[in-house]
Amino acid sequence: MTTFRAAVLEHFKHPRNRGPLDEANASEEGANPLCGDRIRVQLRVIDGVIAEARFTADACALCIASASVMTGRVRGMSSDDAMQLDIAVIHRALEGEPPAGRLKCTVLPLDTLRRALSKPRPEAS
Amino acid sequence: MTQGLIDPREPLIADEKSIAVATLVSATGSTSKKVGTKMIVGESGRLLGGVTIGGCVDAQVVEAADALLGQGGRCMLSISLDDDEAWEIGLTCGGTVDVLIDRVDVRDTEDPIRAAHAFAREAIARDESVVIATPLDGRAAAFVLTENGVRHGTLGDALLNERAAAIAGEVMTSTSRVEEIEHAGASRKIFFDRQAPATRIVVIGAGQIAMSLTKMARELEVHTTVVDGRDRYATRERFPDANEIRVGMPSEIVAGIEPTKRTAVVLIAHDYKYELPVLRALLRSRVGYLGMLGSKKRGVAVRALLKEEGFTDAELDRLHTPIGLDIGGKTPPEVALSILAELVAVRSGKRV
Repeated sequence: MTTFRAAVLEHFKHPRNRGPLDEANASEEGANPLCGDRIRVQLRVIDGVIAEARFTADACALCIASASVMTGRVRGMSSDDAMQLDIAVIHRALEGEPPAGRLKCTVLPLDTLRRALSKPRPEAS
Repeated sequence: MTQGLIDPREPLIADEKSIAVATLVSATGSTSKKVGTKMIVGESGRLLGGVTIGGCVDAQVVEAADALLGQGGRCMLSISLDDDEAWEIGLTCGGTVDVLIDRVDVRDTEDPIRAAHAFAREAIARDESVVIATPLDGRAAAFVLTENGVRHGTLGDALLNERAAAIAGEVMTSTSRVEEIEHAGASRKIFFDRQAPATRIVVIGAGQIAMSLTKMARELEVHTTVVDGRDRYATRERFPDANEIRVGMPSEIVAGIEPTKRTAVVLIAHDYKYELPVLRALLRSRVGYLGMLGSKKRGVAVRALLKEEGFTDAELDRLHTPIGLDIGGKTPPEVALSILAELVAVRSGKRV
């Protein structure tokens, strides 16, 4: 758990791919309704491949660390493959799993990504 | 009576043909009301506001206003607070209050007082302060100057308007007061009534303390915006007294709010997921007050994290934490009271 905690804190303090994505053609906002985590995932999808992925969030360290890892992983992936991405992959990258009751925090970015990819989107310019 | 200005949309005023507007123009002694405070008396006998905290002075003002509504015109009342009976039993406040009473025709857009207040309300809606100059003698007249130098109305003479504009400019950054102007061989007493936009509190976190805070803030005529990422918490049912409720990413919502010196942002979510992003968005803004709920230890930890990110000590010193005056309160309403008390203290210059 110590390693997991260190990995989460490192991503929380130095998140990758954080900030708005100009010219995104897929975007979705997600929230955990009781704890208040809120995240927006933005993607630039060209010919079915995720060319760029970024996120904006007012969220806990677990959620931000998960989004930080996830946006890095899906870059260059086909949207179909990204839809199949398993939360276990993100947990492995963070070298552990969240405590009981906090799974929803790490799952929120992935859930939001899937909803962003499920919506019809314009062609990237 | 929003902001001490006549608002014809106010239910009490909308139903009246004419009203008497009583304004506290000067006070000595221990009156607790600010100069510029108003009371409105309707023809039907209805009352709105008060020029003192109550008792015999307001009663005398109402009597005079009733008489004025019958006969028209305007009058000045100078009332001693050294009431004989109160003095005998040691309950007197001491001092005097001067109250100007004007009869205003609510439905006449040419009425100078009504027109001045309508102009002032529009300026305040644009977040500008105004000063309304009104003579204490002679016929009713009003001249208004806005913070941006726009003028409205007249005191009856261009030179008098110029002199009033110069004084109004000084009063704009001070407090309402009476000034004497030598004009055309006579001394004219003019009341300069400063009206500023409402203090706005942006409350981050839609919990129990926020519910109490918005109720009390309404009494203080403070505009409140409740912000939370949780739509089950930030509801109209829970916040009937809030002026505005916003659900979304708190850091983005506050970034979109005009950060004036009259805006206070209080972080009472007690959750770093909102505190850190909101502080990042506001520590370098012009916002007038920034406070955060939490212990000293927690405050130190939050400052340390933000310092690592490059915020300076001067920027971090803007953060009031623990938030509120220490009045020993524990319950949500008590904490809300302490927060509002600190905001009043900061606004009045009693606390930096």
